[in-house]
Amino acid sequence: MALLTVEGITKRFGGLLAVHDLSLSVEPGQIVALIGPNGAGKTTAFNVISGFYKPDAGRIVFDGRDISGLRPDEICKLGLTRTFQVVRPFRGISVLDNVMVGAYARTGDGRAARATAQEALSFLGMLPMADHLASDLPIGGRKRLEITRALATGPRLLLLDETMAGLRPAETDEVIRMVRKISERGIGILLVEHVMRVVMSLAERVVVLHHGEKLAEGTPESIVQDPRVIEAYLGEAHVTG
Amino acid sequence: MSAQSQVLGVKKPARSWLRGLLLDWERTQLVITFTLMLLVAVIGLLFPSPYVLGILILATLYAYIGITWNIVAGFAGQLLIAHVIFLGIGAYTTIVLNDNFGISPWLGIPAAGLVAGLLGLLVAAVTLRYGLKADYFALFTIALLVSLRTLFLKWQFVGGALGLWLQLGNTGWGNMIFATKGPYLIIALALLAFGVIVQYRIYLSKMGKYLLAIREDEAAAAALGVNTSLYKTLAVVTGAAMAGIGGGFYVMYVAFVEPPQVFDLGFNVEIVMASPIIGGLGSLAGPILGAFVNKPLAELIRGMLAAQTSGTTLIIYGSFLVLSIMFMPRGLAGVVHSLYLRLARRWAGDGTGGS
Amino acid sequence: MTLSILLQLIINGLFTGGIYALVAVGLTLIYGVMLILNFAHGEFLMLGMYIAFWAFTLFHIDPYLAALLAAVLVFGLGALIQRGLIQHVLSSHPLNQIVLLLGVSTLITGLVQFFWSADPRSIHVAYETSVVVLLGLRFSIPKMVAFFGALFIAIGLYVFLRATKTGKAIRAVSQSRQAALLMGINVNWIYVLTFGIGTAVTAVGGVLLTPTYTIIPTVGQQFAVIAFVVVVLGTMGNFIGAFLGGLIIGVVEAFAGYFLGGDVKIIASMLVFILILLFRPAGLLGRKPG
Repeated sequence: MALLTVEGITKRFGGLLAVHDLSLSVEPGQIVALIGPNGAGKTTAFNVISGFYKPDAGRIVFDGRDISGLRPDEICKLGLTRTFQVVRPFRGISVLDNVMVGAYARTGDGRAARATAQEALSFLGMLPMADHLASDLPIGGRKRLEITRALATGPRLLLLDETMAGLRPAETDEVIRMVRKISERGIGILLVEHVMRVVMSLAERVVVLHHGEKLAEGTPESIVQDPRVIEAYLGEAHVTG
Repeated sequence: MSAQSQVLGVKKPARSWLRGLLLDWERTQLVITFTLMLLVAVIGLLFPSPYVLGILILATLYAYIGITWNIVAGFAGQLLIAHVIFLGIGAYTTIVLNDNFGISPWLGIPAAGLVAGLLGLLVAAVTLRYGLKADYFALFTIALLVSLRTLFLKWQFVGGALGLWLQLGNTGWGNMIFATKGPYLIIALALLAFGVIVQYRIYLSKMGKYLLAIREDEAAAAALGVNTSLYKTLAVVTGAAMAGIGGGFYVMYVAFVEPPQVFDLGFNVEIVMASPIIGGLGSLAGPILGAFVNKPLAELIRGMLAAQTSGTTLIIYGSFLVLSIMFMPRGLAGVVHSLYLRLARRWAGDGTGGS
Repeated sequence: MTLSILLQLIINGLFTGGIYALVAVGLTLIYGVMLILNFAHGEFLMLGMYIAFWAFTLFHIDPYLAALLAAVLVFGLGALIQRGLIQHVLSSHPLNQIVLLLGVSTLITGLVQFFWSADPRSIHVAYETSVVVLLGLRFSIPKMVAFFGALFIAIGLYVFLRATKTGKAIRAVSQSRQAALLMGINVNWIYVLTFGIGTAVTAVGGVLLTPTYTIIPTVGQQFAVIAFVVVVLGTMGNFIGAFLGGLIIGVVEAFAGYFLGGDVKIIASMLVFILILLFRPAGLLGRKPG
């Protein structure tokens, strides 16, 4: 059984059809990439899946359970956690406290939360910065914090929203390594990405979105050669390699 | 004790004890707070004049009320401006139970907490149900303040415009009525200790972290599993109930209440907002530092302006607020924190007992 | 309730509402441009009243002429407060902004009370009880003058905002600070100007009230609360909404005063306030929420 099954979701904003009849699935431990030109509806799809928007049609099934219409925090507690495209650290508190907020999704006990947080920080190489204020971190650090925080919630599926945007190549490699490590733990990953290099090196399957609809789906290699996909991206500046 | 300290002798053990006590900033604030409270108690013992005791009692109460607002506005970042309504409701509850029903304040004060907590629950529920955020939330609380003042002005059962005088029975601990001010200070300090501990426990708990997360970024908090509605409600109800208890003690001490006295924005500025703002909103020691500095200072300034007293309280508190926001946005606690960090760096840097 | 009482209440309500409208216009202008709620707004009205009082008492200047003096003085004070204090918290947490303005409000009230005492003052002009009777309805002269004065100033301000270069700059900033910056508008100067105008207009509202209102240091507070009601009712930042809202609240209050009594009538405005906040926070002219 698939970990996540998105069945024909549609989302409208007034007259604008942001997402139309989108279906996709993610198996446990799989990495799936959601790509498409700007404005294709990727973040909207994320917002619907993670409970920030209610779908106008269709449903989302996570681990056999219909989660359509649940609150974001309820969905997170069920094991589906998302990050944000523009990172949102809790700036006024420490890195450790940031991650502990995530860890508390699984427990009410301070000691257990602290242990989980420290484990997540160490797993993703952020332990030395634990006592720093989140606002003191550079952008690369904040992106890693965003992922570490999400990891501490103990997800079985992680939704990563354009994690690589604005990173230098060396930092991108770092984050690719992090994502692979997370995936090796058996955590499913659905990522929205513009950086094709990331998509090619991480994704097992790619779903292409265009004008809110699924344009194509397949392996990274087949997608890159798909003429419909190429046409959709023509005139659209995208980052390669 | 490390091998090094055994070699170096006496000096190190004292340092280690102090280091253990000031292990982190949270604990340090707790130490500072209780030290200040001890200082207050000692001053009260050494100078038991009604004037001095009066200042100490009010400073202690202001610190406690400041804590109750700190939880809602400092930790959770909610713009609950007219927090004084909970104090007012609490004061009225206690005095009405005492005067009209002969119920001892020892029951009347917890009852005040209950009633104020219920009002807090109402406020939270309504504002959450109708999605009142930020400015709209602030305005809503002010509308409540004005409404309550008007309603209480007309409600004869609670004295209307004439207010209520505390019915004085026999003095003694049973009635919480004392001929001297000393016992009031004891109760005030006990109340403050209660508030400090509750605040500390909340800060270190899951609730505390969640409130801070909500303050920093509500949507991100929700994405991480925080039930923001629940925790915002908890913060408001906790702050409201605690403020109600403070109001109950307040009315037992000043022995009188009327609507324009408690349901007043100027009073709100003085007793709710000034201490945490000056001391540092969102910090643990802030409300206490702020109160123990601003109340005596205000009295001192008022004393210097001897003859002309009309409006001086307003001038003093207005200036305090403006100066704090402009020049000391993290408050006194922020200043002490910077000193603490420097000290901690020195201690972490040195291994030889000095630098 | 006879027809004449009904009409009388409406007229009285409109006349008072004109002042509410003027005060609210100042408040909504500040909010629209700077996105802060001026919690010290009532104090500028109060200062206007005191300026009129002292001008009348010391120099026998008719209150309505003192309006210009009040406008200039309060504009200066408002500009100073904006440049010296508010400017520095415009990008801070809203709590800081609110606390700062509450502090300013408290400070101003305290200073007035300190220097001029809390004793109630009033101005007695020859025409203060003059009425014009028309069709059996009584039109109080000072209240009528106040209404038309407020209307005149509001219209003038509206024209200023629509037709002059500076006015358009102000409107540009209220629509998009970024775009205005890119167009070379000195946004900080616009903030100073806006706050000065908003407070000056309010002060003039206070001046217009003086023939019929008792002056005490805290007189501004009740008007401030009503101004907030009006601003929200008329949609925050909306000029015309604020003016119409002021008139509506004036009439609501007149009826409330008649049925409930003068000291309780504010509860009617509070009820309107709460209902609007709950069910239509975007105001009468705004989009429906959600």
